[in-house]
Amino acid sequence: MSTVNRTVAARPVVRISRYALRFLMAALFLFAAVAKLLDPAAFAQQIANYQLTPWPVTAGLAVLLPALELCVGICLLLGRWESGALVWTAILLTIFSGALVAAIARGLSIDCGCFGRSVENTGTIWPLIRNLTLLVVTGFLWFSRDRQ
Amino acid sequence: MTAFRQAGLILLIAVGLAGVTAAVHPKRPAFRAPPTDPNEVNLAQVQHWARTVLWVDARPDAEFASGHIPEAVSLNFENWPEQFPKFLDQYSPDRRVVVYCSATSCQLSREIAEKLRTSGITNAYFLEGGWEAWKHAQP
Repeated sequence: MSTVNRTVAARPVVRISRYALRFLMAALFLFAAVAKLLDPAAFAQQIANYQLTPWPVTAGLAVLLPALELCVGICLLLGRWESGALVWTAILLTIFSGALVAAIARGLSIDCGCFGRSVENTGTIWPLIRNLTLLVVTGFLWFSRDRQ
Repeated sequence: MTAFRQAGLILLIAVGLAGVTAAVHPKRPAFRAPPTDPNEVNLAQVQHWARTVLWVDARPDAEFASGHIPEAVSLNFENWPEQFPKFLDQYSPDRRVVVYCSATSCQLSREIAEKLRTSGITNAYFLEGGWEAWKHAQP
């Protein structure tokens, strides 16, 4: 299995795509983290709009999620602890997608809050599609990574 | 180092960063209870404003269609580009805008009121208890 992965990862097209997609993911996570860290109180309010968690948990998530995004973004940018960063990428995107599905299912007309207050009026459908696309990208980065 | 060990270390660092944010960030969230907002108003306050109030319904269109405060204007994030011009047709600077959503647990009215204020509608407030509170107050 690892031999197959090394062979696939060694192809120039795959390597170039990997670099591009890794930097794209890093940029997205870093932008999301910085946007939320500018105003954690406002981000807490955006999480509260989903009506999924009691307030103290919401406030905790408002400081923990941007910190995780920042760490993941830095790891992906530098190519250090990449496997661990991809584990968190998958976990975070799954959690965010689940929250969006819950909001859509309950007919909540809310702003995604994915990038704090920097990008508003994004609704819930398009962020969900974006997250699912990024999950596919995460899968590609995971299975094409160099495990040597 | 395995992926999950790396993930554990990333979590540890993130928890540390989150702790620093929670302790020193000037815009950190209040942990004990949601902050009270000076732009929140209750029905008694709104009744004093009487006919100068412009009601804004921030709930989804389907809920607005099934019942709303008389003469309320529908305005939500999903349909903001189409609905905001209609809101402006009804608005004048001498009117106070009061946004409501379904109930106390709903934060949407707060968001829409804030969005209105950033759009230049400085006298935008949101109703404590929302539509449920208004319905209960009706004879």
